[in-house]
Amino acid sequence: MAFAMGKVTPFREEKMTETCFRMKGTTLTSIVLEVIDFEPDNFEAQLSQKVASAPQFFTRSSLILHLMKPLSATEFELLVALCRRLQLQPMAVKGEVAELKPTINDLGLADVSQSKFTDSALRSNKASGSENNNGSGENASQTAQQVQTASAPKAETAPAAAPSLKPAKVINRPVRSGQQVYAEGGDLVVTASVSEGAELLADGNIHVYGTLRGRALAGVKGNTGARVFCQSLDAELISIAGQFIMHETVKGECWKKPAQVYLEEETLRIEPLA
Amino acid sequence: MAKIIVVTSGKGGVGKTTSSAAISTGLALAGHKTVVIDFDVGLRNLDLIMGCERRVVYDFVNVINKEASLKQALIKDKRTENLFILPASQTRDKDALTVDGVQAVLDELKKDFEFIICDSPAGIEQGAQMALYFADEAIVVTNPEVSSVRDSDRILGILQSKSMRAEKGEPVKEHLLLTRYNPSRVESAEMLSVADVEEILAIPLLGVIPESEAVLKASNQGQPVILDEEANAGQAYADAVKRLLGETVPHRFLEAEKKGFFKRLLGGK
Repeated sequence: MAFAMGKVTPFREEKMTETCFRMKGTTLTSIVLEVIDFEPDNFEAQLSQKVASAPQFFTRSSLILHLMKPLSATEFELLVALCRRLQLQPMAVKGEVAELKPTINDLGLADVSQSKFTDSALRSNKASGSENNNGSGENASQTAQQVQTASAPKAETAPAAAPSLKPAKVINRPVRSGQQVYAEGGDLVVTASVSEGAELLADGNIHVYGTLRGRALAGVKGNTGARVFCQSLDAELISIAGQFIMHETVKGECWKKPAQVYLEEETLRIEPLA
Repeated sequence: MAKIIVVTSGKGGVGKTTSSAAISTGLALAGHKTVVIDFDVGLRNLDLIMGCERRVVYDFVNVINKEASLKQALIKDKRTENLFILPASQTRDKDALTVDGVQAVLDELKKDFEFIICDSPAGIEQGAQMALYFADEAIVVTNPEVSSVRDSDRILGILQSKSMRAEKGEPVKEHLLLTRYNPSRVESAEMLSVADVEEILAIPLLGVIPESEAVLKASNQGQPVILDEEANAGQAYADAVKRLLGETVPHRFLEAEKKGFFKRLLGGK
């Protein structure tokens, strides 16, 4: 099992005489559980409460354990068992793992402490993620993260099935101050203006065929490829996968002009639309 | 079929009651049997502006609680035929308004009246929501300043989500009434222009009422300003009523006076 160190580019296909499998890179969203302190009873109580707050969000979701301080092998085994009992699926470990490598192997987890998505990236994402993704059940200790990983060599010959896309949510009237629209699992299209104090959220892209004066949060579940497009850029806030810029930053050369905003290496870029 | 029109704004002090009084009077003057209801329970004002505060015996809440009949509570306007006022209670609060109670009163009024004007209280709470819940049309009163525009935007959102029509999927017809408009302050960029407000709110413009001393004078005299035919504010309200009834009337009083009063009188269209 290997983790792609580079960008989202897929692995080159292995050429063999007879193809039994393909190797591809993929990007998936995962929750990072930062373990600040591990005192089993207390930890279980807090974690189960968190899971119960949004069961659909957490159940069967893959998890990266980020150990903020070293744990003993017994403690670590206990932690993993506890997560599994709560229907979370730990798949990798990072942080203070030096003493735990054999245990991590025994438990069938991956050690991603050397991986590219280092703590600096984590921290910057976390800072923004926890602040404006309110309502999506995240807090400082659990932050949706991008993980780039190559899939394990499975016996797959057929190409991956076409991803099932949810139809875009289309709003044909102005989104007013105080209104909030969320397109779950897809794109959001607004064919009118979005007022100050209104909030658009989408798991996919956001298109506004009018003036965007409110807030637009695309890729709220961590899709870093999501973009925000608008006819006239006058937004209070734009966020993509947790990274955000405020009004002051938006106010650049594309001010009140057609523009798109996308994420490039953890920086939001604003580009005019011709 | 009676039409229920709510006069609302979100923000207070922008001219809801003044506009309710003027528009209901205008509709009655045009020959339509009209009733204007004060939904501002606890802070009743409409009766003052309509000049009938001393004739209030029973009020809206009494009728809802079946302590009085509609007939007993309705006040017939002394100046204008076809016009009736249903005053608010001064001693109760807005929780006295219930959906069923308000509906029963409106259903009864619908039998007799062509227009039912609901003068909404400020805010977005119970009282304001009750005033707009049954509305077929809404007149959103806005001053040309950012906080008023923001609140109007908010109330438009509420109209789209919390009115009975919205629940049935039929939109409430929206009208923008811009009040306290001062063209010379717009020119000096102290005030938002008509175009600015229209761009943000994106609803049809029913009228622009110029800022005028006549409005305050009329309020204090208990006389709807629309009856002051000399005043430009009165004329602007008269135009707005015509537009409400479907006529196409050009907007006036949008430019600052430059060439003196008589020039404007003669040249104004």
